[in-house]
Amino acid sequence: MIWLILGALIAAAAVAVVALPFFRPAPDEAAADEAVAERRLELIEERDRALAALKELEFDHRTGKIDDADYRELVGPLRRTAAAALQALDALGAKE
Amino acid sequence: MVALAVAGVLAVFLIYTAVGGSSTPLLQPSNLAGHPGTVSLTGKVVGPVAGEGQQAGLRFSLHNINGASPLVPVVFHGAVPDMFRVGRDVNLTGQLQGSSFVATSMTTKCPSKYTATPGT
Amino acid sequence: MADLGRAALVVSFLLTLYAACAGTYGALRKERGVADSARNALVAAFFSTAVAAVVLALALVNHDFSFAYVSAHTSRDLSTVYALTAFWGGQEGSLLLWLLVLTGYGALAVMLNRRLLRDLIVWVVPIVGAIAAFFSFVLVAVSSPFVTQTPPLDGAGLTPSLQNPYMVAHPPMLYLGYVGLTIPFAFAAAAMISGHTDERWIVATRRWTLAAWMFLGFGQILGAHWAYVEVGWGGYYAWDPVENAALMPWLAATAFLHSVMIQERKGMLRVWNMVLVALAFELAVFGDFLTRSGVINSIHSFAKSSIGAWFLGFVVATAVFSVVLILWRLPLLRARTKLESALSREATFLYNNLLLVALCLTVLWGVLFPVLTDLFLSQPRTMSRPYYDFFLRIFGLPLLLLMGIGPLVAWRRASARALLRTLRWPIAAAIVAGAALVAVGAGSSRPGLIAYTFSAFVLTTIVVELVRGTRATGSLLQLVGRNRRRYGGYVVHAAIVLLALGIAGSSAYQTNVERQLKPGQTTKVDGYRLTYQRFQRTPSATISGRQVTNTAVLGVGGRGHGTLDTSLVESTTLGPSHEVGIQTDWLRAQDLYVILEQQNADGSVLFQVFLKPLVNLIWIAGFVFLGGSLVALWPDAREQRRLVARLALARG
Repeated sequence: MIWLILGALIAAAAVAVVALPFFRPAPDEAAADEAVAERRLELIEERDRALAALKELEFDHRTGKIDDADYRELVGPLRRTAAAALQALDALGAKE
Repeated sequence: MVALAVAGVLAVFLIYTAVGGSSTPLLQPSNLAGHPGTVSLTGKVVGPVAGEGQQAGLRFSLHNINGASPLVPVVFHGAVPDMFRVGRDVNLTGQLQGSSFVATSMTTKCPSKYTATPGT
Repeated sequence: MADLGRAALVVSFLLTLYAACAGTYGALRKERGVADSARNALVAAFFSTAVAAVVLALALVNHDFSFAYVSAHTSRDLSTVYALTAFWGGQEGSLLLWLLVLTGYGALAVMLNRRLLRDLIVWVVPIVGAIAAFFSFVLVAVSSPFVTQTPPLDGAGLTPSLQNPYMVAHPPMLYLGYVGLTIPFAFAAAAMISGHTDERWIVATRRWTLAAWMFLGFGQILGAHWAYVEVGWGGYYAWDPVENAALMPWLAATAFLHSVMIQERKGMLRVWNMVLVALAFELAVFGDFLTRSGVINSIHSFAKSSIGAWFLGFVVATAVFSVVLILWRLPLLRARTKLESALSREATFLYNNLLLVALCLTVLWGVLFPVLTDLFLSQPRTMSRPYYDFFLRIFGLPLLLLMGIGPLVAWRRASARALLRTLRWPIAAAIVAGAALVAVGAGSSRPGLIAYTFSAFVLTTIVVELVRGTRATGSLLQLVGRNRRRYGGYVVHAAIVLLALGIAGSSAYQTNVERQLKPGQTTKVDGYRLTYQRFQRTPSATISGRQVTNTAVLGVGGRGHGTLDTSLVESTTLGPSHEVGIQTDWLRAQDLYVILEQQNADGSVLFQVFLKPLVNLIWIAGFVFLGGSLVALWPDAREQRRLVARLALARG
């Protein structure tokens, strides 16, 4: 008998947990803000990726995996990509 | 593109070697008759069991795992595997010689853990 | 008490079903409240499953034989530890373990990422919910651990061969691995459904995949050790379908772990990564199906049961789901960049992937061959060891070589000149090692020699990398601390090299002879002198009936020392079993492995003697593998701060 009661309690707790979000709705951000935040996040990720690639290139150069000629060839475009990402990020920030 | 090509070559290679035949037929006592060459035979051990493995040969009979079927006499030369006993399902590798199956390797199946209905 | 367990599982089923349905609705309609409610349901499902698990565990420990499961798998004299391991010793209990781990992982993944990745989580919830709903449905309606009966006096007991410490660790570890692969799959599917197919889902699931892969790998090594030491047929891997069931998803996951690095850096191979993660997940579920359904002949074979049909349906349904998703999102996934050079780290990762997937498919083909030939040729045929050994060499040896070359190749484009310069030490080491090995006679096996020289090559590259890196950063600790993934990965590579050495040594260079000895006789095997000293016959009574342990005591001289016991245990109910004698020579890293095969009427005993060089490297490799994975997994405070800062900056 006690087991059935415990079982019923578990079921009741489950229902309560599931129903909770309907009684305490979380604040909803405006859709427009969400889109901007999303775009900003994408640009930040792009910036971080470019910077990480630069760091890796320099490390590979220092440890001798890339010789000087190749390094010179590759570092330019990477620096430009990183700069472009930073610029785009600033532009987005400036719009606010 | 390169990737696909390499994958394609590998696939062909695979199929070729597979069908080419390092495979052995999987048989049961009921369909053993007439198969030449080395085969893999699976069945349930039926007594009486006589002799010993290795040179002298362990003699017993085999029938289909599920249900009765004609008995196949087996002579086994080799290391007797763990848990071999009457009623156990075994897998033998060998050849049909005359009316007996002469086997050189045998493996037993672990007693079933995952049965359909517990407690039976 | 069984009522409580049953009720808890019904609650789990309803919760996961709700999570799947409401979660889908909430994600589609962008209804925040519904989505949150579905997420809560998934988390709650873990707790209700935990209740069911506790009920079963208590029943096992208390020997409550009114539970049919308890009486089928335990007995009164079973110790508490093994009574608990019986939890996963049978079909129903192991399914419950699977569900527990699944809901646990799901709850954790969802709660940890609920703020960072809201767009993905709204879809992860229904996907994990649906998978969990399947398992809980099977537990409620098809295969329940809570079937009751009038309690018999005593239970059937746990198969003696399962009463050892391996049974405690091996299955749970494998499950943590198998089930763990569900999380990256769910995130991948969520990424495709939501349209956010960028690298965010990969970064989020990186540690999950690594952890699952680690558990699956270590679990397999545990299984191999179990086979070697306890089962005692002279080997550690039989290419048995159930063994392969764990190997295949592990190989796919290995390929995935490497190819995501390419996607993270270059945005390439997105389709390939989706295919790989789905493949890893499918193979894990398929492996589960293989083990339970009895469809394929195996040493671990279990009875054919109806559950097989349900699992087959689930495998097919998830496969169709994955294929449809990938085809639908193909335009979104197409790469925007190309491979720049055939000599670049991206390219070596690609080659590594091809080899790993080729090996995985080879094993899959071998596993399915009996089923397919039965279907199409009406005559089932099976592939045996030579098939697997051949392809393991063809694909495995180049993989070994790539493991050494890959880390030294630069990203994007590497110059052949720079590469050769970096490789001069490893190549030199390989040549020297090769020459030395041929001099000591290792040329007797060409694959073995190749494996050894390649291993020398790879180990040297790892050392070179560590030395160069330390020189560039200043301290080894700083080097590893700043880039845990890379250097943890190198440690794992070292583990694989040890594994390769152990496998090559113990198979290509092993000695396997039979010796028949009378008491007092001595025989020589390769530097060891074995003397059959005496015989011991020890009858005993266990729950599984009477048994007699026949032990032959061998004196070991020459390279060995002391004595070695090897036994043949004859049980009236179970038949014969072997307890092999193993003596490890750590200095020479080889095992003397003796099986007592047969006692003859004239008092002589037939022994099978193995000499297995380097076999212990395999077990050591297991620990190195664990260590390396943990280094790679280790949470990085700096990385975490960066992620949080990034989000804060974006939110403004």
